[in-house]
Amino acid sequence: MMPLRRHLGLLVGPQEMGRTWYFWVGFVIVIGVGAAAPQYLGRFDLLNLANFLTSIFLALSLCLIWGFCGILSLGQAAFLGLGGYAYGVAGINFIESHGNTWAALGIGLAVPVLLAAVLGFVMFYARLKGVYVAILMLVVTLLFETFLNQTAGQGWFIGEAHLGGNNGLGRFSGVIKKPPSFIFSEGGIKFLGKSYAFFYLTFGLAVLCYLGLRILVNSKLGYVMVAIREDPERTEALGYDVRLIQLIVFCISALLASMSGILYVSWGRFITPDVFGVYNNILPVIWVAVAGRKSLTATVIGTLVLVWLSQRLTETDYAFVVLGGILLGAMMLLPEGVITGIVDRGTALRARLAARKSARA
Amino acid sequence: MPLLEVENLSKAFGGVRAVDGVDFALEQGELRCIIGPNGAGKSTFFKLLLGSIKPDRGRIRFRDRDVTRAEPHTRAHMGIGVKFQHLGVYGDLTVRHNLQLPLQHSLSGEAMDAEIARLLARLNLAGTEERRVAELAHGQRQWLAIGMALAMRPVLLLLDEPTAGMGPEETRETGALVHSVHEEGVTVVVVEHDMAFVRQLGAPVTVLHYGRVFAEGPLAAIESNEDVRHIYLGASRTMAARGRYDP
Repeated sequence: MMPLRRHLGLLVGPQEMGRTWYFWVGFVIVIGVGAAAPQYLGRFDLLNLANFLTSIFLALSLCLIWGFCGILSLGQAAFLGLGGYAYGVAGINFIESHGNTWAALGIGLAVPVLLAAVLGFVMFYARLKGVYVAILMLVVTLLFETFLNQTAGQGWFIGEAHLGGNNGLGRFSGVIKKPPSFIFSEGGIKFLGKSYAFFYLTFGLAVLCYLGLRILVNSKLGYVMVAIREDPERTEALGYDVRLIQLIVFCISALLASMSGILYVSWGRFITPDVFGVYNNILPVIWVAVAGRKSLTATVIGTLVLVWLSQRLTETDYAFVVLGGILLGAMMLLPEGVITGIVDRGTALRARLAARKSARA
Repeated sequence: MPLLEVENLSKAFGGVRAVDGVDFALEQGELRCIIGPNGAGKSTFFKLLLGSIKPDRGRIRFRDRDVTRAEPHTRAHMGIGVKFQHLGVYGDLTVRHNLQLPLQHSLSGEAMDAEIARLLARLNLAGTEERRVAELAHGQRQWLAIGMALAMRPVLLLLDEPTAGMGPEETRETGALVHSVHEEGVTVVVVEHDMAFVRQLGAPVTVLHYGRVFAEGPLAAIESNEDVRHIYLGASRTMAARGRYDP
């Protein structure tokens, strides 16, 4: 019982906003409103919302590695894309033929984590930091994009899955198989992308990941992560192997990003090399930086708002210009992030008012 | 057998030999000051001892083990505690959490709380545990940085300019703290510019100049050494003008 209580205590630790009872009342209301979405949203809007929710995992992955561990990665979409492709290829080969969704999921998660382990080992044990990690990750993801764009030929089959060049996996594929959604043979449970079940699955996973990460950032490891962000040399002198911890956090962040990719493929039943492109790597940086990179809560809220806004703006062709403008404005006015900036200022104002009140008394 | 033994240690950056063939030894329980004008190689030597940079040549033995290639975290667990020249405290965290980081290797729960309270009392920081470190005064942050090094229960404590930016009263209290740590049997090395503080410590001194050991011996002998006076005054009249060195 004690470990459970201790873990629940970590939910309200100081590394993350939300230590007051009214935050958690608000949280329960948001969960309630979200869970009831199928009751008041039409099929199209629900489909859209499920798609928005898949972005949360990617944003949280960047928040964790950048906001808490101080490592800016401009290539998180590499893990999303690789997770999506790995799940798609494995799904085509295992799910429809053998009903083995677990194997496809396992492969979709394992491949990006393996890549993160190899890349992370090379980068962190070579003491790369700052802009070099950011650039290296961008190069890696663009290499994946370039490679996959030339896989249109008939030689690019993995089992029954055709990589499809710039058309991607499952898109415009004619007789070629599409990646399947989650279908569990046990009990015949299906999570088709257009279904309520898929929405609830994504929603539930997003809530679980958010709560799990709250516990992580308030754990002993979470404090070490923040220490590394603040001063890695000092942290090393306090007996922590900074390289190993950076590697572990990098792998966790790859796991989260790959969840975005797997859910995205399961939702739309296709994935193209575009997911590895510059646009998809810069977008999460904008979401996290604008919202507040040092907060999971701000990241989730900011991502949902900005993803919704991006979709609205795509009709105008100026989406990226407007989002860039928002980033620029936020960095100039509230460099720590809009949501965290507002919350911090609100907290400071409340403290000042309380001090004035007690001085009068 | 010395606690720390450095042989022919060298490190160059490009064409500049920051540390050039340094031999240095410390006995268990010793207190030693390292001084030298700007650019003498003090900080590089300090980082070589800490392990954050690796030497081009030479050998470092600590507690009878060769640690020349050992990483800083390994040296920390072997008993080398460090207070950096820059503050090296975590401004975004509370005082408690700054101390918790070194302590959580070995303590938890009530034992950790008790140790944090003991350290805070010793550092004149009682009552600040829940404050963010960024809100503390400069001198308090310096003490906290020393406290974090002490929380590792070091055998050898390396202090790089522990009184930088402090007023006279804070400097005096820091000197008393260093003495009390030394009296507990901890071997202490202080890298310092401020000769008034070096005098307060009254410990043997090693003078570095152009990356080499220029002189070594009791404080009185070093202070009366004409060559040392010359390199200090000749190389840095401004330091004397600032009152950092007034032999």
